[in-house]
Amino acid sequence: MMFWMMEYRTRSGKSLPAIFAFALLLASSGCPKAPDYPKEDSDVTESKSTGAAEEEPSFPPLEPYSPPALADLDKTAEWEDRPVLDAMKMYRALKAQEPELVSVKEALKLKNNSDEDNNKILSALGRPPASEKDVNFDADIKRHLFSDIKTTNPLLQSSTADVDVVGMTSIGFFSFDWKMEPFAPVETVVSWQTSKNKLYDKVVIRDDLVWSDGKPITAHDVVFSFQTLMNPKIPIPAVRTGMDQLRWVEAYDDHTFVIFHKQSLATNVWNCNFPVIPKHIYEESIPKDLTMTDSDYHQKYEQNPVCGGPYRITKRVKGQEIVLERREDWYMHNGKQVRPKPNYKQIRFRVIQDATTARLALNDGQLDEMELQARQWVEQTNDDAFYARNTKVRGVQWVYYHFGWNLKTPYFSDLRVRQAMSYAVNYDQILNKLNYGLYKQSTGEFPDGHWAAPEKPRQPYVQDLAKAEQLLNEAGWTDSDGDGIRDKKINGKPVKFEFSVMCNNEQFRIDVCTSLAESLNRLGILCHVKPTEFTVWQQNAIEHKFQALFGGWGTGTDPSTLANLWKTGEGRNACGFSSKEVDALFVEGERELDQSKRAEIYRKIDQILWDEQPYTWLYSRSGFYAFNKNVRGYMFSPRGPFHYSPGFDAIWTVAAP
Amino acid sequence: MLNYLIRRLAIGALTLLLITFVIYGLIRKMPGTPLTVDMAEMDPSKQISPERAKQLAAIYGLDKPWPQAYLHWIGNVARGDLGRSYSRKQPVLKIISERIGPTLLLSIPSLMISYLLSIPLGLYCSARDGKSDERVISTILYMLYSFPAFVAALFLQLLFAVHLRWLPLFGMMSDHYETLGTWGKTCDIFWHALLPVTVFTYGGLAYDARFIRANMQEVLRQDYIRTARAKGLGPVGVIWKHAFRNTLIPLVTLIGLTLPGLLSGSVIVEQIFTWPGMGRQFFESITERDYPTVMGLTLMFSVLTLAAQLLADMLYAVVDPRIRLED
Repeated sequence: MMFWMMEYRTRSGKSLPAIFAFALLLASSGCPKAPDYPKEDSDVTESKSTGAAEEEPSFPPLEPYSPPALADLDKTAEWEDRPVLDAMKMYRALKAQEPELVSVKEALKLKNNSDEDNNKILSALGRPPASEKDVNFDADIKRHLFSDIKTTNPLLQSSTADVDVVGMTSIGFFSFDWKMEPFAPVETVVSWQTSKNKLYDKVVIRDDLVWSDGKPITAHDVVFSFQTLMNPKIPIPAVRTGMDQLRWVEAYDDHTFVIFHKQSLATNVWNCNFPVIPKHIYEESIPKDLTMTDSDYHQKYEQNPVCGGPYRITKRVKGQEIVLERREDWYMHNGKQVRPKPNYKQIRFRVIQDATTARLALNDGQLDEMELQARQWVEQTNDDAFYARNTKVRGVQWVYYHFGWNLKTPYFSDLRVRQAMSYAVNYDQILNKLNYGLYKQSTGEFPDGHWAAPEKPRQPYVQDLAKAEQLLNEAGWTDSDGDGIRDKKINGKPVKFEFSVMCNNEQFRIDVCTSLAESLNRLGILCHVKPTEFTVWQQNAIEHKFQALFGGWGTGTDPSTLANLWKTGEGRNACGFSSKEVDALFVEGERELDQSKRAEIYRKIDQILWDEQPYTWLYSRSGFYAFNKNVRGYMFSPRGPFHYSPGFDAIWTVAAP
Repeated sequence: MLNYLIRRLAIGALTLLLITFVIYGLIRKMPGTPLTVDMAEMDPSKQISPERAKQLAAIYGLDKPWPQAYLHWIGNVARGDLGRSYSRKQPVLKIISERIGPTLLLSIPSLMISYLLSIPLGLYCSARDGKSDERVISTILYMLYSFPAFVAALFLQLLFAVHLRWLPLFGMMSDHYETLGTWGKTCDIFWHALLPVTVFTYGGLAYDARFIRANMQEVLRQDYIRTARAKGLGPVGVIWKHAFRNTLIPLVTLIGLTLPGLLSGSVIVEQIFTWPGMGRQFFESITERDYPTVMGLTLMFSVLTLAAQLLADMLYAVVDPRIRLED
């Protein structure tokens, strides 16, 4: 960014120097090599990520499979009914039980300065309408996107912005609620059954579903989408994950399909949840253009996709906005209303990358919702200019931040050193000063309220430098040469305790790491804060080219998704953690079908991780949101107010009195 | 003249090859690939396995050594194909062409305003050197030159968009743009462009005015100016006929090198005002490691830079009769 500021200022000699400055910038980013340390005999952890990847076969193509006839399957499957639910009905039932702490009028006057205020506002404004008359169905809502979408194709989606937009335009036959419990939505599914042995899922979809071009949505679209997703030659980035556990999907008629699984797994339901695209649009075009993007034909549908969800895209200006309009044929079929009418006539996603401009747009009524940064919540949204049109609410999100220790380095391969690090952190400064006292200290992978959280809440680490010193001494890290820095002989070579902590180059993150560095300095450890560009941070983490890092993770829908964080050699296992017991427990957790037993398994994993401290868990972040005062119905899930069911569907704008 | 042109074009082509080769090598050596960012943004439940990442890398051609990939890229460029963006799922040429219009909408008015104001301002300051009005103007220019663009943008947004509500806060067009007639659309874009053009211009204006003043002062110290004055020529005649013509050579260099700048945009201005220009695109492409787009933009900037240098050299001959291009 600095380079561009300078470039703007000096107009003379603008571009050639710019190119070379860019080259230098790239060169200075370097291509770091994994640090070369003397090998410690007692290294307990050794990731085999790259080796494992080389040995294992690539994502396999779909194996031929002859599914049995449905009649035969029905005879042997011993079908068990699974939930087909109306998420809005569940939401209304939940809210009916919650008392309204203040009236709407009082809530609109409140300023959100405490948890009590927050609860009052949520209790009054985060509610469904008393009747349909209260809803302004002609309203539009202006939503905020921090970055532009990359695609409108449900199969190619990967970023959060993609999910926000494509989630409104695409159709799905599985969903999950605010407790992360899966179900089939009543809007699209008639029945869902699972065989007793959990190897088959039979779904009957509704016969009143149509694509935005008027063609019916059928089980054949589901099968076509599955086969497209499983084609290894198509560069599908994200949504395919987990689908390698599916053996086959077969359509038995226009509305009935069966998903065949390779194994009986508790996680099978999550693998069924894949997006669906129209077969009649892509059937002939995909073999000609496997990228699904290169050809003019695919570009046409990228710009104006045929949609199966409640909204369709009517305008897309790159880098500026995406406009969606409610589909009448989503809720009306043959002149009859068959589904609830979506609450908004139009959804306008505005792409505003600058947080200050977005906040001003909110004050100006040009945005109706926006996720706030912690600093904006505390310092920039308390004035009358903000409250004239808006209010703000917060909710706990399952997003935690941590210091990660690279277990391959001689410093952090020793458990005592990792524990010493956790005792050294100045939690008070990080939580109360740098984070304004907004967050609770986290104590492991599962926050309070998670079904796999410890039955008895853990005692969090507190800063105890004496204890940290004792642990470092026990681990052999002492100041043997009296230079004020701890050192240790490893395989005969003296090694100073000097390392870098890598973080993204944002001031807040640098401040958190500086707090760590200051604490460690008092223990005779040299810690250098290394701000790094986001992509470099990510790549270095994947390749274990760091010593320590500061980062954060959001939550997956099921604890089994933590396997890619903690199983040996997995993609997000940056610290190189490796434990045969944890690896085995993750496999067991997937295979165990009893929820309470699964909870025990994941608790055990969490306890091992807590004992091993590959991370120093710091805090769980809240979600902070601003909403226009006319917008109602928001409720927080562990994944925020939108990314669950009903999520956005529950949000409405009040009709004029 | 023809020989000179052929020689320069040949050197230009070689320079272009060298620049693109070096940049290609550097971006491929940077940590991270297009898949890195994808993986960072993904739902934790939907992370790509290492095996699949390897497979995708092969599909994208990221598994080939970079010199081989460069040859492939340059071969395609020779056939007029700049490739397809990994992250935006579009041909690079389309991405660039979509950004050219909005970028020029900011840069051309900015450039014109800047020169239209900076030349008279620079000349005025030279003529009034040391006088109180010159000092006031120079101080203001100096302050403008050092005033950060993001602060200026915020002030202007608060004043003109939030308090006075005269101008739009961000964006390039209103929500109801499609419903407007041609004149309405033109006015709509004009109103939206006012604040970004102002922020885009003031720093350059201050720089250019100070540049002209400094060059003029250098020229005004020359013997031939003293001679002109000695023969009784008035101050306007001295400055306009004798001095200004001789400051044109560095000014031509400046204008020539501005040509690629017309399309490079500005990350800060574009980001603050949500303007879909080239600067944001370049910045995002680097972050996303979108190699085809970065290379497409690099190629465009390089060609423009080399063309601008050639143009400037040819203009020297026009403004300075002592220069012969055959030399």
